[in-house]
Amino acid sequence: MTSAQTTQPTNDQINEHKIKQTTEQIIALLITIIPNYDNDFWNEETELFGAIAEFDSMALVTLIGEIEEYFDITLDDDDISADNFSSVATLTELVLERS
Amino acid sequence: MVSTQVEFYQGVKGALFRLTRTPEHTLAHLLFIAPLFEQANQTRHHITRSAISAYHQGFQSIVFDHYGTGDSAGELDDTNLAIWQQDIVKQLIELKNHSEKPIYLSLPLSAVLLLSDEIIKQVDGLMLLQPDFNGKRFVQQFKRLALAAQLTKKSKVKGSDMIEKQVKSVEVAGYLMQSSLLDELAEQSLNKLVDFTSNCYWFEWKNASEELNPGRIKQQELLANKNNKLVIQATDDVKFWQATELQIAQSFLAQEQLVFTQLLSSNKELN
Repeated sequence: MTSAQTTQPTNDQINEHKIKQTTEQIIALLITIIPNYDNDFWNEETELFGAIAEFDSMALVTLIGEIEEYFDITLDDDDISADNFSSVATLTELVLERS
Repeated sequence: MVSTQVEFYQGVKGALFRLTRTPEHTLAHLLFIAPLFEQANQTRHHITRSAISAYHQGFQSIVFDHYGTGDSAGELDDTNLAIWQQDIVKQLIELKNHSEKPIYLSLPLSAVLLLSDEIIKQVDGLMLLQPDFNGKRFVQQFKRLALAAQLTKKSKVKGSDMIEKQVKSVEVAGYLMQSSLLDELAEQSLNKLVDFTSNCYWFEWKNASEELNPGRIKQQELLANKNNKLVIQATDDVKFWQATELQIAQSFLAQEQLVFTQLLSSNKELN
């Protein structure tokens, strides 16, 4: 009889999973706010601020509110910068930092 | 054809632009309270649909712009929370004086920040659409618009850089108002309302596969403690007020229609 061996995930694998999950959740929020793009338009490299015409100040603030509610985090005014909102990836990084 | 009356109704400080749709046989009255600032623009198309739907079911539906907003008289800079609340009370009292039919309010999003005990005691029920009773959070989000708008101009500024027109006035995202108005709104919360017993329906936009976040649960629990008739309806539909293009939440409208029917039938039973 052979016993099944379980392997614990490494920290890198856990982090990778967290990034993937957070990215997917952020994309889901973005699709709600900016619905006029196909789902495959969105990925971690998708540029946001300055790249998508619909990503205006209203969309940005709506997204902040949704992120705060969904992830139960609080963003500071200083977090509202072009760098943090430049792409899905930078936004994911911000959310993970504040989580 | 829908019978619509367009008028400038005399509010407490000035004329309010008002649209009233009155069916041949009015079974109830439904006053739509517009949410605040940009949310008013983001919900207007949907409120019109709801108002027409209510009319077809026998509600006299009334839609108006708050003083200093939309097509109503006055400037935003010249109003305050009490004026907006008293305009609502005035309309409710006049309805009561002319009709024995029940009166309901429809309050989307930030419109609930206008609620007061005086308003609630005049009505037979409330319909709340994704309400946010957290005034502090609403004002914080609104002020963030100023920061976000500066970003689009490619210059980073601090929160205090909202344009101060005068000592007491502030301009946020193109809206010039008394800074005290924002202070008043920030102080609004569910805790300020006393318990009430009228019918209360809460439409909560929630994806079927997602759990409600703790902040929303807390607000629902707080209201449930104040109103033992609270009915919470989950709505799995588009958040039409957030989208950058016009969207219609069809399944919400269908749910809302059912609630209209329930309100009318419960009133019939009481009579």
